This record gives sequence, C-alpha cells and structure tokens, in this order.
Amino acid sequence: MNNKLKVLRAMRNWSQAELADRLDVSRQAVNAIETGKYDPSLPLAFKLARLFDMPIEEIFDDGFEGGDDE
Amino acid sequence: MMVSKEATMSDASKPAKRPMSPRRKRYWTALGLAGAFGGVLGAWMQMTQTDGATIGLALLSNSALPANFAIGSSIVWVVGMAISLILYHRSVDDHEERAYLWAGTAAWYTLTLAAPTWWVLHRASLAPAPDVMLLFLGALAVNAIVWLWLKYR
Repeated sequence: MNNKLKVLRAMRNWSQAELADRLDVSRQAVNAIETGKYDPSLPLAFKLARLFDMPIEEIFDDGFEGGDDE
Repeated sequence: MMVSKEATMSDASKPAKRPMSPRRKRYWTALGLAGAFGGVLGAWMQMTQTDGATIGLALLSNSALPANFAIGSSIVWVVGMAISLILYHRSVDDHEERAYLWAGTAAWYTLTLAAPTWWVLHRASLAPAPDVMLLFLGALAVNAIVWLWLKYR
C-alpha cells in the first residue's frame, strides 16, 4: 500500500526516530511503513492520522480507483 | 545556599537525548532479562559438563547432568522465560509483533517438517535417533533469521 508518510514527515522536519518516538513505535516500524514493506494496524493508522491531523485515506492509498470521484 | 527541590529537578530534567518511553524501557528490560537468564544458564551448563568433549557445545551434548543443575536450570528457564516473554509482549509495537508471529510460524513449520520425518526415518533404521535439542536449535535458528529479516530488512 502506498503512503505519504515520508513526505509528511519531511514537511515537519522530523527524523524517522522522532516520528517513531511520537508514535511510540520503533524506528524500524516507521521505516517499514514508509518503504511499503509493512502496512500498519488500524490503531496505528488512526494514531498517524491524529498526529498529522488528516484522514487516514489521505495518508494511505490502497490503489482502489472506483467509488470516490472527488 | 538554599536550592529548591523544584529548581534542582528542573535543571536535572534537561537530558541531552530524548528519554526512553515506558514501552522502550519495558522492551529493553525484557531483552536484557532474557539475555541474562540465557547467559547464566549457558555458563552454568558449560561448568557442569564433565566429559570435556563438547566444550562450547554443551547444549548439543547428551551426557548426564547433575540433578540439582537439572532442577535449578528448569526453574530458571521456565520462570525466566515466562517473565521475559510477558514483558516482551507487553512492549512490542505491531510491526515487531508481526515479525514475531511470522518467525514463530516459520519455526513451527520447521519443527512440523523435520521432527516426524526424522522420527520415521529413524524407525526404518535410515537415520540416527531424533535429537530434541538439535530440532529445538534448528527451529530457533529459523525463528531468529525470519524475525531479523522482517524487522530489519
């Protein structure tokens, strides 16, 4: 699943370790999400959405193109 | 000169590095405890080896062990592992939990494939008797490789 985590993090000038601290996960977890090797659990996805103050679907993209035409 | 307790605490609370979260503290405590228990058991087991033929490989030896060591090490293993694992599972994030679950699954499949195969071959006199510790260490090695790969790739 694609995501904008790296961009959102860079916009705030946070290192992976800093973001990991804010989410209370390991730096490896942040790296794995950013590189698409790991899709976070729903609770972690909500935590990310709250941290960046945006909906989950604006951070993550599952590639589904039908339905939402906005 | 009187220095208030609050002022002292305020000065002292300016660490150069970000302090560890309670989760990370639990995590490293769990790993440290597991390592300490393992180290103590390994050293203790090596010291009880009397045959001298398996120096450094005490885990693979099938020579007799003193009863007090067998009882003591069993208690340390069960209690130590239980405490360490409870702490570990209370502190891992979901990325590592997933790595742990897949590593455990791979280790279980290793055991599922190897143990019955070896046992059947032995009963047909095509292989030596199954070695429990060799099976355990094989599964443990697979577990470690998969866990490390999923966590650090």
